Amino acid sequence: MSIQIKEVSKTFGSFNALNDINIDIKTGELVALLGPSGSGKTSLLRIIAGLEEADNGVILFGEEDMTHIRTTERKVGFVFQHYALFKHMTVSDNVAYGLKVRPKKERPSKKEIEAKVNELLELVKLDAFADRYPSQLSGGQRQRVALARALAVEPKVLLLDEPFGALDAKVRKELRRWLRRLHDNFHITSIFVTHDQEEALDVADRIVVMNEGKIEQIGSPEEVYDHPNSPFVYDFLGNVNLFQGRLQNGKLLYGNVEIDAPGFESAENQQAVGYVRPHDVTIDREDTSNEAVQAKVVHVHAVGRSVHIELKREDTDQFLEAELTRERYRELELKVGEDVFVKPNQLRVFIPEDYSI
Amino acid sequence: MAGHIPMQHGSKNTGKRTAEEPLWIRVLLIALALGFLLIFLVLPLIAIFIKAFEQGASVYFASITDPDALSAIKLTLIVVLLTVPLNAIFGVAAAWTVTKFDFKGKSLLITIIDLPFAISPVIAGLVFVLLFSAHGLFGEFLFEQDIKIIFAVPGIVLATLFVTFPFVARELIPLMQAQGSAEEEASLTLGAGGFKTFLLVTLPNIKWGLLYGVILCNARAVGEFGAVSVVSGHIRGLTNTMPLHIEILYNEYQFSASFAVASLMSILAIVTLVLKNFIEWKTSQHG
Amino acid sequence: MAKNWRFKKHSILPGFGLSLGFTMLYVSLLVLLPLSMIFINTSSMGWADFWATVTEPRVVASYKLSFGAAFAAACINVIFGVLIAWVLVRYSFPGKRVIDGLVDLPFALPTAVAGIALTTLYTENGWIGQFLSFKVAFTSIGITIALTFIGLPFVVRMVQPVLQNLDQEMEEASAILGANRIQTFFRVIIPEILPATLTGFALAFARALGEYGSVVFIAGNMPMKTEITPLIIMTKLEQYDYAGATAIAAVMLIISFVLLLLINGIQWWTNRKFVHN
Repeated sequence: MSIQIKEVSKTFGSFNALNDINIDIKTGELVALLGPSGSGKTSLLRIIAGLEEADNGVILFGEEDMTHIRTTERKVGFVFQHYALFKHMTVSDNVAYGLKVRPKKERPSKKEIEAKVNELLELVKLDAFADRYPSQLSGGQRQRVALARALAVEPKVLLLDEPFGALDAKVRKELRRWLRRLHDNFHITSIFVTHDQEEALDVADRIVVMNEGKIEQIGSPEEVYDHPNSPFVYDFLGNVNLFQGRLQNGKLLYGNVEIDAPGFESAENQQAVGYVRPHDVTIDREDTSNEAVQAKVVHVHAVGRSVHIELKREDTDQFLEAELTRERYRELELKVGEDVFVKPNQLRVFIPEDYSI
Repeated sequence: MAGHIPMQHGSKNTGKRTAEEPLWIRVLLIALALGFLLIFLVLPLIAIFIKAFEQGASVYFASITDPDALSAIKLTLIVVLLTVPLNAIFGVAAAWTVTKFDFKGKSLLITIIDLPFAISPVIAGLVFVLLFSAHGLFGEFLFEQDIKIIFAVPGIVLATLFVTFPFVARELIPLMQAQGSAEEEASLTLGAGGFKTFLLVTLPNIKWGLLYGVILCNARAVGEFGAVSVVSGHIRGLTNTMPLHIEILYNEYQFSASFAVASLMSILAIVTLVLKNFIEWKTSQHG
Repeated sequence: MAKNWRFKKHSILPGFGLSLGFTMLYVSLLVLLPLSMIFINTSSMGWADFWATVTEPRVVASYKLSFGAAFAAACINVIFGVLIAWVLVRYSFPGKRVIDGLVDLPFALPTAVAGIALTTLYTENGWIGQFLSFKVAFTSIGITIALTFIGLPFVVRMVQPVLQNLDQEMEEASAILGANRIQTFFRVIIPEILPATLTGFALAFARALGEYGSVVFIAGNMPMKTEITPLIIMTKLEQYDYAGATAIAAVMLIISFVLLLLINGIQWWTNRKFVHN
């Protein structure tokens, strides 16, 4: 089922939790709401679930207006951040709950419920734990019970609030893949909230980057990572180097060098910042282009497939980070303390909001 | 009797530790604490039973089967059966209101709920005298309707209600606050309505806390003296509860009889303590 | 997500109207209306009458006695309460579980029962009284003992959980930094348990001020000497002096309010400290 979020706003007292949010989610999509604490992503998820009411705006599931439908009738699957498993019920009772509480007419027979529960527990690989209580399970297992419980009511929409937040790194990775596979098999429209960019990039079909109650960018993982459309997105998704400078004649001037800044041809003597990812930086021993700054190698981190170099600019004392392939690193024979030239290959220029007003 | 406290701290306290006192200090402190408890708690408790049987078992049983004693026991039971369920229902409703919703004046409401704990039981009795006695606010009206509240059972029930009314709420509020609303919300997203959610999710989660509050409420309702003393009128066989009966016997120098009834109440107190500790143990098991 | 968590209370849970309505009705009928009677009746009395009643020498003597004995009892309870809590949390000894359970006896035992038991122990030829060279029963010492008994669990039960949750690594850190045990106790442990101890003190004090049942038997109830304030209210009631009883009750009620505010203040202060940490 598709989900449309139209012009949704929400304030808590004087705090603007959500500001005019518009998102279209296609049937079967897996969407990540990504943002820092307080960005409004959890509030949005709770509004979609009906756990919170928006001040303005409309929520549509397919063609149906859900804005004033109560949670109980929305038929969403919701996986809570800390799972909210019923402590006093066994694993199988937890999973069966949604079916057992249905009104008599719609309620499946005992046998059907049992079969459904077994099927789900098999799916989440917890069939051996059916009679345990939540307190007797590990974090990852609880997470899977929560998921099975949400799926038992056959929701058209699955909502997950920081689904892997409380787990340790290894379990988190496993569950992420598992969720991806599950989604590929079932094709339930799913939205999950996360503050972990890696998680969002790894699992989601599309990412909605949120900040201070607003949407910064919506796009596929590649889009938001490779073509961020705001400094915030640059900052939030991955590491970034900043080149502070001035715009003049379509070029960004920083330190003693200048580089093309497409799209800013008309800007005159304007303060601006160039953003570049560490892997879009080249290191040379010679300055060949007049677009490089001189920097000293401060630290080399050579574990893993690529080599991370930490540098300090000679002119401004700012720190820079570069990511090189092992081959390139070996070729350059870099040593700590050496002077090199650092050149951004792909610089994205933004005028800081403070100055643009 | 390895309970939850030694279990939690057993590992921490074994072996020599930097942050631990020398043995002689530990022994001294334990001796001081136990000595104090012996004099203040254990001796009075023992004294009650010894005094009760001082004149032999026959006097003891005669004292507790005396018609006046029996009617006092009966009245106390009636009072408990009326007050405890009412205050339990109130406690659940108050805790639900206070912990699941945000509204203006909430902290004031919590303070008011605590109020009876801070007020002298004598005042608790007095306020009902001011309302319902012959000279009270509703005195004339009640007289016309021929309803007796003060110096009658309804007054005793009201005073006891007042004195014991915070117990259940006080127990449930912090518990439900700590539990939050996540499980209730989960239940709603799974399609359960409000009443089903309360019955299937909330109630099982608070049952031990509720029972704990009920037990404390019960103990106080059984033993309340000051407030009941004000409104009772001390009419033997009619408006005497067990504590009032003990007082009358004591003031008439029927010490053995007085302690005999007191011993019954002490047994109830010990049962209360055992139950209370059982619940504490039980809840610590569930973590 | 601290912010969102708090907002959750903008609740979709049902039953607000019903439960709030019931709660307010119950509280109003059972507590607010009756208590307001004290002030309504007092205000109809006239200031001069009121003042004369509440400052009568016999009444003033009872304030002094009630306050003095309640304060002394609360102090004893602070010292022994902290000691008992410490011993119960930190040391192991046989029978500890039973002792721990027994601490609540004063809450479970009817006050009248406690009153006659204590009196029996402390009369001149009682089990304890016979060994003492001074009179205890029917003096202010006896009153203090009864009030100590009924206030005993407050400090213990307030301090015990705080001590239990106290990170022992903090004490080890203190030791590593060169503090001896006594320094550690006064500089690390005492500040941690201070708010709980103060709350316990205030609760014990408030309870002792209003206590009636356990005191009347051991007090002797001699005017000017061993007559506590709740007893004066009781006596005036028995003489059908409702106005006098109400006036003194108003004074006590105001003191109770102040104590309650104080207790809430301490708790608010402690919570704030924790939140900011």
